[in-house]
Amino acid sequence: MPISAIIMLIFGCTVLYGGLAYFLYRAWKASDR
Amino acid sequence: MVIIVDRQEHWNSRFAFIMAAIGSAVGLGNVWRFPFVCYKNGGGAFLIPYFVALFTAGIPLMILEFSIGHMLRGPPPECFRKIGKKFEWIGWWTTLIPFVVASYYVVVMAWCFSYMIYSLDLRWGTNAEGFFLNTFLGVTSGPAVIGGFRIPILLSLIAIWISIFIILYKGVSRIGKVVAITVPLPTILLIILTIRGLTLPGALDGVSYYLTPDFSKLLHADVWLAAYAQVFFSLSLAQGILITYASFLKKKSDVTNNAFITSLADAGTSFLAGFTVFSVVGYLALLKGVSIESLGIAGPYLTFITYPTAISLLPFAATIFGMMFYIALLTFGIDSAFSMIEPITMGLHAKWKISKAKSTAIICTLGFLASLIFTTGSGLHWLDIVDHFIANFGLVIVGLIECIAFGYLFKLYRLREHANNVSDIKIGRWWDLLIKFVIPAILIILLSVSLIENITVPYMDYPYWTIIVGGAVPSLAIFILSFVLMRMRRR
Repeated sequence: MPISAIIMLIFGCTVLYGGLAYFLYRAWKASDR
Repeated sequence: MVIIVDRQEHWNSRFAFIMAAIGSAVGLGNVWRFPFVCYKNGGGAFLIPYFVALFTAGIPLMILEFSIGHMLRGPPPECFRKIGKKFEWIGWWTTLIPFVVASYYVVVMAWCFSYMIYSLDLRWGTNAEGFFLNTFLGVTSGPAVIGGFRIPILLSLIAIWISIFIILYKGVSRIGKVVAITVPLPTILLIILTIRGLTLPGALDGVSYYLTPDFSKLLHADVWLAAYAQVFFSLSLAQGILITYASFLKKKSDVTNNAFITSLADAGTSFLAGFTVFSVVGYLALLKGVSIESLGIAGPYLTFITYPTAISLLPFAATIFGMMFYIALLTFGIDSAFSMIEPITMGLHAKWKISKAKSTAIICTLGFLASLIFTTGSGLHWLDIVDHFIANFGLVIVGLIECIAFGYLFKLYRLREHANNVSDIKIGRWWDLLIKFVIPAILIILLSVSLIENITVPYMDYPYWTIIVGGAVPSLAIFILSFVLMRMRRR
């Protein structure tokens, strides 16, 4: 797989799954309102 | 007098609401549309406009819809009525469009249900295309030749509509229980299928096709439009679903963070599905010695021809992986399907005080009758025509009207203040600018491009009369019916 595809893979995973994890963490911290 | 829906009913928990919203947003399109759109519009480079669209249109619109439902506490007709009595019809229009979408979406679910059973003996054999188009669908030569009902589809359709009724008639407490299974399950199945796909020979070539970026495409306006269209259609926006679901939230529930979680979960599922699809497509291309472009990698062709062909060629456990794939599609789709029915049943329940069970039964029966045309030999043609017009015009127009109504006729800052009062994450005035100017401008461009394309060349070369019957007539009927429902006396 070309290096550019791997970079886009890392970029996509970081934004989507990293972002999702961050907002889930904020929700968990704020507890179930 | 504005009658408020019985507010005793609430989601069991914040988790239940988030799962229901994700379940509504994630559907067949995540599997059969996003990977193809991404591949066609610059591969990995498409992620850049896609993320821009997600953060400048998708998430702000979702915050808007959650805030409307949460603050005004009702299904769309009630919410629009609270802006002004004469705007109630927009709310009905918003609920009727997903009802029409559900009438054919459920038929695709019925195909998935049938294929789940066919997976047991890989009934499509070595000719998945012939089996799907001729044996299963019995596709006629054109929309004018109706053909007979396809009994396996009809039976599956009955089963799906009964399931929808059973899930919906008891209210959101039951929806919360159902989505606790039907949202995580397909995601787990998709992960298993992706792992299986990636271990097949040729899979990495497929993934390379999916992700290798072509940054020159970012200079093309149509790539950016495709990104906005993908985000808009994928998130269940402009269908009244998110408004209705948010109306069941408790008063102090978060709005903004829920919108971020729902949108990112939807986009994350699409991104994952790309690996599921392209790994298997790469494997199939290697085995057949053909290029990936020559294989059907979008829509029904992907799910009912290319994927079954690849499943048949798996070295072991083909039946199990076939079942997994169709169960995943079925469970992804069922959440979306019942969420499309919920706004109109709640609309009837709120306006005429019809019991939830009765309003659900009425709508499911009408939905079943409307679905029948799509179970005939000409069903695939009609499905294609109706979907094209409802998605490209109906949803975009509703989204546009929603932005204008709440951006200009309602005090938008009140919705922002409401969202900020209950939410962990605060939004600034930039959100007002996006709702008032940026998103309407993008939707107008999308609408204009679709209009020009459809006027210059008839869609898929179908005769004009079929476009009028399948596109213009349902749109006009929805428009007139919205006014009729508004004018009818409430109880």
